[in-house]
Amino acid sequence: MLRSLLLFASIAGLTAQPIKVELFEKLTAAQLLAPPADAKPVETYQEPAFVFVRIPTKFSGNALPMDRSTPFGLRASYERILTAGEYRFRLRARGAARLEIDGQAVAESKAQPPNKTGDDPVPPQPVREDSPLRPAQYPHQDVIYRVTLPAGNHKFVLTAVIGGSGLYPTPGELAVSFAPIGQLERLLGPPSAPYLTDEAWDRYVVAVNQRHDAADIVRRRLASTAVAAEWKTRHDKIRSALLNTAGPAVPALKSGLPVNNDIDRFIGARLESENMRPTAITGDLEFLRRLSLDATGVIPTPAEIRAYLADAPKLRRPKAIERVIASSGWADHWVAYWQDVLAENPGILKPDLNNTGPFRWWIHQSFADGIPFDRFVAELLSMEGSAYQGGPAGFAQATLNDAPMAAKAEIVAQAFLGQKMGCARCHDAPFHPFKQKDLFSLAAMMQGKDLKLPKTSTVTMIEGGRKPAVVVALKPGQAIGPEWPFAALVKHSETGTLPNQASVPSRNDVAALIISPENKRFPQVIVNRIWKRYMGLGLMEPADDWSRGKASHPELLDYLSREFVLSGYDVKHVARLIFSSHVYQRKPVADAAIATGAAGRLFTGPIRRNMTAEQLVDSLHLGTGKVYECEDMNLNPSGDRAPNQFLNLGKPSRAWQMTALSNERDRPALALPIAQSIVDVMSAYGWRQSRQNAATSRDDAPSPMQTLILANGILGTRMVRLSDDSELTELALADMPLNKMVTEMFLRVLSRPPAAEELRVMGNLLGDLYAQRKVKGALKIDASMKSDNRVSWSNHLSAEATVIRMEEERALRLGAKPTARLEPQFRERLEDALWAMVNSPEFVMVP
Amino acid sequence: MQLTRRDLLKTAALAPAFGQAAAVKLPKGKADACILLWLGGGAAHIDTFDPKRKGDGKKVAGSYYNPISTAIKNVQLCEHLKQTAPLLDRCALIRTLSHDIVSEHGAASNLVHTGRMPSGTIQYPSIGSIVSKELGTKDAALPSYVVMGYPNITRDPGFLGAKYGYIYLTQIETGPNGFVRPPDVDNPRQDRRETLLAQLRQDFEKRNPEDHVIRAQSAITEQGFKMAGPKFMNVFDLAKETKTLRESYGGEFGQRCLLARRLVQSGVRFVEVSFNLNFLNGSGWDTHNDGQVKQHLLIQDLDQAFATLLQDLEKNKLLDTTLVVIATEFGRPPEFDSGGGRGHHSKVFSALLAGGGLKTAQVVGESDELGVNPVGRSVSVPDFHATIHCALGIDPAKNLYAGDRPVPITDRGAPLVELFT
Repeated sequence: MLRSLLLFASIAGLTAQPIKVELFEKLTAAQLLAPPADAKPVETYQEPAFVFVRIPTKFSGNALPMDRSTPFGLRASYERILTAGEYRFRLRARGAARLEIDGQAVAESKAQPPNKTGDDPVPPQPVREDSPLRPAQYPHQDVIYRVTLPAGNHKFVLTAVIGGSGLYPTPGELAVSFAPIGQLERLLGPPSAPYLTDEAWDRYVVAVNQRHDAADIVRRRLASTAVAAEWKTRHDKIRSALLNTAGPAVPALKSGLPVNNDIDRFIGARLESENMRPTAITGDLEFLRRLSLDATGVIPTPAEIRAYLADAPKLRRPKAIERVIASSGWADHWVAYWQDVLAENPGILKPDLNNTGPFRWWIHQSFADGIPFDRFVAELLSMEGSAYQGGPAGFAQATLNDAPMAAKAEIVAQAFLGQKMGCARCHDAPFHPFKQKDLFSLAAMMQGKDLKLPKTSTVTMIEGGRKPAVVVALKPGQAIGPEWPFAALVKHSETGTLPNQASVPSRNDVAALIISPENKRFPQVIVNRIWKRYMGLGLMEPADDWSRGKASHPELLDYLSREFVLSGYDVKHVARLIFSSHVYQRKPVADAAIATGAAGRLFTGPIRRNMTAEQLVDSLHLGTGKVYECEDMNLNPSGDRAPNQFLNLGKPSRAWQMTALSNERDRPALALPIAQSIVDVMSAYGWRQSRQNAATSRDDAPSPMQTLILANGILGTRMVRLSDDSELTELALADMPLNKMVTEMFLRVLSRPPAAEELRVMGNLLGDLYAQRKVKGALKIDASMKSDNRVSWSNHLSAEATVIRMEEERALRLGAKPTARLEPQFRERLEDALWAMVNSPEFVMVP
Repeated sequence: MQLTRRDLLKTAALAPAFGQAAAVKLPKGKADACILLWLGGGAAHIDTFDPKRKGDGKKVAGSYYNPISTAIKNVQLCEHLKQTAPLLDRCALIRTLSHDIVSEHGAASNLVHTGRMPSGTIQYPSIGSIVSKELGTKDAALPSYVVMGYPNITRDPGFLGAKYGYIYLTQIETGPNGFVRPPDVDNPRQDRRETLLAQLRQDFEKRNPEDHVIRAQSAITEQGFKMAGPKFMNVFDLAKETKTLRESYGGEFGQRCLLARRLVQSGVRFVEVSFNLNFLNGSGWDTHNDGQVKQHLLIQDLDQAFATLLQDLEKNKLLDTTLVVIATEFGRPPEFDSGGGRGHHSKVFSALLAGGGLKTAQVVGESDELGVNPVGRSVSVPDFHATIHCALGIDPAKNLYAGDRPVPITDRGAPLVELFT
């Protein structure tokens, strides 16, 4: 951690004269433009040039992302030497900003007016001056100032107001650029600062985001050092106590079934007693594909495959397991899971359908930082941090729900305790041991006070109707007090204090009781979830409803649960145990009778699975070598609405970052066509665009729509198109024999070399054209897809906005422009081969 | 045999478990398909199906247009529904639909599509998904639920699962998403693709003998390609209709209505046609501010398409078995906002049912002087849904299952019995 911090400092130090940036909060807009002398900045950092597209995230002591005051302000100060001459300065801002040179205000932009209706006109295309200068993006203002400066040192100060009532609290493309008259402008900064051209800007912004991403990680880990130490102390105590008790006895096997670790002994003992044979071990490459998908959510790259095969056979699997567990994809893949289980459901357009805040970002950060899972639960239940910038406060929201905390109590109980209380929302559950009062008393604990039963959360009796079979013991309007409903799992008296102290003490109690070492259910539920995710079926089913199930291997559940607690609630430890076991490494159960019957729960091998929607979309991009292109998940890029109305979830780079496109208004100008093409595939493969309720399993059974959307849909078409943004195009152009090219393509897409027969088929298809496949002198064609960012909620009702988006839909349907560097006939054949590969059952199935 | 809770629920005859009124004999209509014309944005009832005395577009509240008489005695429509007016005897007009969601389009659209407020416990299915499930497909090679408009949550299958989802198109010319091959893939190319795919698949099956999942996957793939075959795709070819008929339907919305008729004729059970061309007047049916000024263009478009659809269905002897529904998320108040348009109003608004073998030529419910409150009886969204379901022969009290939890099709909706003979 310290090393990366130093690295960050030294990168910033490379610029001769770094720009000092200070942030101010809780001042008026006028004060932010000219901070009073006694105003203390809340944060001070450096930037290499006058570009402020990204502000450091504010973190709490628990490393939760926090909101800054709105508005907040930025002051950037800088000095540099200029030669004498006439200069042109450009202040570019979405809202109010002021530029001072040598103590004198020289340029000022106007405050952005909050938007009230969607009736604004679409602005004209930005004017391209007679230069490659990047024009101001709608609705940014350019304020130009021409001045003759004497030679010598000059002082520059930029102040800006960010956010404010009815505005989005982001800086937009806040920047200052300048040049001697007649020359191309550079960003204000050292002489080597980038030019203000589209290309240089785009490159610079990518670098800014990478730098801030890295810095945010360092800052949040630093912020929670003290809390992390307290958790460690807690885990050490729990470990010592647990080590004084005996774990479950590990059975010895009689028949010589293969054993990699103790998991195989528990599984093997049952197989022996039931007289069942395990399936065979998978091949090395099949194993790698499965492992990569399970741990990182994507198929392996050819480089990873080669590195894997270069390892000694005995070391391949253990080394690969360590590599995938350490990969950044680890966090990506877990986010998708907890989005379902915790019903993360952000709405990007005036959320009103049981929407939450986007706490996806906090889930991601928790898994990226390896936060112990009990701490994860405590942080979630604190419901603190930023509601709209991704903190657990977003979990507390349930727009238009008559009893949000009842909804949350239901989610928490089934996520962490396997207590499914959904029926108790409106009446005593007829087939679960829960009364309506149980759910509402837990909800009251999470609320921190008595809850009144809403009249819409009950079953009203119709006069003259037959006596209902459900018991409705509570009356609408009745107040229910906070009370722990699961005394059978852990007694209320076990409430202890936690390192994370939520501001609502009874929320803390809920967390403390769930993660109490006295509560044996919690670690069992979590290890069972991990097991089910990797093996296709839980040791306990249903994994979210333990009140009626019976564990297939209770001792194994105990064993894994104990390992989980001993490791300090480390999900990676449990994953490593499962990945290393022989049972995980075996071939999937292919026999329908076994897989779907009672015998499936003996785990002769893992249960056959298809890729999840996220795995499929991410692997398609990786396999075909295309970047993840998509509009921002944002329907008001003009930034003149507050985040509670128009949430900006940014530009996705992985499928879990998608969200419901929220076009309930059914208006063409509110469509996001590229995103829709991705969502279409994901929806067909079981992803829920609306997560109004928690789910542990998805409805992702094979359907004809899955076939069609992949084969003919816009995303599938884009993925197999050999355009100049495809790594496969480069592969096809590289100098190598045809067989080698085909082999490389199979490695990329199917994680295996082609069989002899497949080589022959590909040879027949491509052989006669291969030697002449290249078009001499042909240039690369820009294949990226453009989304016109002039269209925003603020003007979506105009005919022009409608026409723009409908045109984009049409253009998208034609697909990316194919490369001109490959002969069309050859290119089409190769595309067809690629199409067949990604549409084959082998591609979508987890080996 | 082990009894599941679901079995128990069934055998215990718990149909009225959730406070359902004691079993009454429900009417059972004969319609076997439904076309829902969706006027998203909130169509002003007093400017369309429930005309009142005229306002002035500024201070004086009231309708924006003159009324005209119709085929139903003493029942008037707005003057821009002049083709519909003589056909109103084929319709049942509901003038007192009512609910509580007035501020948010999304929530109100969801309510009118699903018949319920979100609970956070389960996601309720849209009426299209329910009809699609209850009536099943007429032809296994056909999808049963088609949306012309944007995919969104309100149209989703919810807990019924993706199997009862829809296929959609956003523009007539592009065809249904996923069914139309990319423009650069002609027949020989598609043949080559499928041959290559078959080779890869066979190899894979050979390497994984007896794998039931792979076999199921392959079968589904075949079914998919069959579904996108010429039989269904020809339905989308409007050029197969006469030029006169196509022109009489009018613009994009009309063409969608024509396609809806073709879809129903081919065996699709539920077609939702969205009238979402908000650029016609700058606001669509959400006529705040100056969206009001050209609202008549929307009404005329609707009139032409709807009247032609009724006559076309009738001519094809489909009107008695096809229920045509016009619905919207809420109405609008008689007052004008500062920009000369109208806000939202949900206490009373109109919907229309046509054909479907219903006892038409009647008006259900009456709104007061300026269409603000119901006079007497109001029709709830569940009642409205129950009426649609009964017209299609579906029992609105029947339990669907979210996992093993019973959920009645409507939230205790009662059909409008006067519409059934």
